[in-house]
Amino acid sequence: MAEDALLAEMRALRDRVVGITDTALASRDGLIVRADTGTIDPDNLAALAAAMLGVAQRIAAEVGQGSLHDAVVKSSGGYVATYAVGGRALLVVVGDTGVNRGLLYRESRSAVDHLESLLAEASSKTGRVATGKDETGEIRHD
Amino acid sequence: MNALPSRPARGGRRSYGRYVADGQLGQVLSQCAGDGWSGALRVAGEPGGLVHFAAGGIVDIETPGAPGPDVVLLRSGQIPEAGWEAAFTSAAPSGQLFPELVRRRLIGAARLEAVLRTALADAMFVLAIGRVEECHREEPTARPLLWLEPGAEPEWLLAETSRRLKVLASLGSQIVHDRDRVTAGRWPLAPRLPLSEGQYDILALANGRRTARDMAFALGRGVYALTLELSQMHEFGLLTVGSRRNETPAGNAWPDGSLVQLRDAQTPARPASAGSNPASPLPQRRAARQSAEPQSPGAVAPQAASALLRILRGGLADPPGPGNADEIADPGGV
Repeated sequence: MAEDALLAEMRALRDRVVGITDTALASRDGLIVRADTGTIDPDNLAALAAAMLGVAQRIAAEVGQGSLHDAVVKSSGGYVATYAVGGRALLVVVGDTGVNRGLLYRESRSAVDHLESLLAEASSKTGRVATGKDETGEIRHD
Repeated sequence: MNALPSRPARGGRRSYGRYVADGQLGQVLSQCAGDGWSGALRVAGEPGGLVHFAAGGIVDIETPGAPGPDVVLLRSGQIPEAGWEAAFTSAAPSGQLFPELVRRRLIGAARLEAVLRTALADAMFVLAIGRVEECHREEPTARPLLWLEPGAEPEWLLAETSRRLKVLASLGSQIVHDRDRVTAGRWPLAPRLPLSEGQYDILALANGRRTARDMAFALGRGVYALTLELSQMHEFGLLTVGSRRNETPAGNAWPDGSLVQLRDAQTPARPASAGSNPASPLPQRRAARQSAEPQSPGAVAPQAASALLRILRGGLADPPGPGNADEIADPGGV
């Protein structure tokens, strides 16, 4: 079976930027679309990231600082960065403390553009928003 | 500015026998030392990094390729996070974190210096055997969090790198520290081999997603020491190489996101585009309501809010505690 193009892009991002440990693609209402995660629960991550992105965009609008680039959570053990993917999805990138933030930003933006194109193409074919649920309703992720 | 000629791109799976400490990098480092220079030498490449000089001695190296002393101290559990945060806050006005950690009896001065020296050697190791494209001298902007005083001589650090490369090249099984993602093997010899706590820590992380570099950041251990251990465990069948990280694109971004001026820049590796390899049909949403219109900026969708409340009420799993303190590797030892 040909590798899913969305997941392939997410895995390629993890290859390109040393320090990225997990990525997840979710809908704006917090449902997982694709997950390239290890031990992190993708459902929880998707829900929290959707909420955070919404609040971050609200804050950016409130202070009049233009469009949001990314919403970043920096902890003692690393980073979580969330990016809007068009108006319907978001990309969450988890990295350890060694991740090169400049490279992360550059490559994540590139990945966001590509993911947006892939989702737009899939939506135009089906006319519906895509999720990661398969025919049995089970979440599909690797 | 000291610009180095670019290193020819290397392809395929590399072994440590093909690498030696980069003579060109060594020349630049020696120039900085000989000039008695103080500042930050920006090394572009992979992993690249920032070499901090004070009066010609190397006092700190920041690189994505190896954990710094702060990560080593915290992730290994040598210093509890609460104590570290208190010391950091207290030392913030002066920037003197080293004496503050010692004053608070969080770590002894000699042990802390050993950690700094070990982390410095580890950072130079990954820097020197990585891809070096260009170097730029910069004026110092921010003092490192922790620094070795007096600074280390570049010759010593590069000599230690050469020694480590010889050790790795002599091994029968070589794990490439920043490429090979390892998976726990089937342990055919396990019943006959007593495993150390460190080896159990490694096996717990060996899920096919982590390289030696990744494990170093997770455990607060040195990249070289872990590479050595992973190679030995691989030789005994305790680990297998599950996948290999692909080569990354040439060049490196500065922390502000701007690109380094490159020679022979390569196109970043990408999967096939949608045009040439159309995305497979995506599964369709079955149960939940979906938003027909894109979310307006700032809106938190009801589904996300309800999911968030569920998580907050139920509580998330406690984060893993710090691992046991690792022995401080002797910079001169294996």
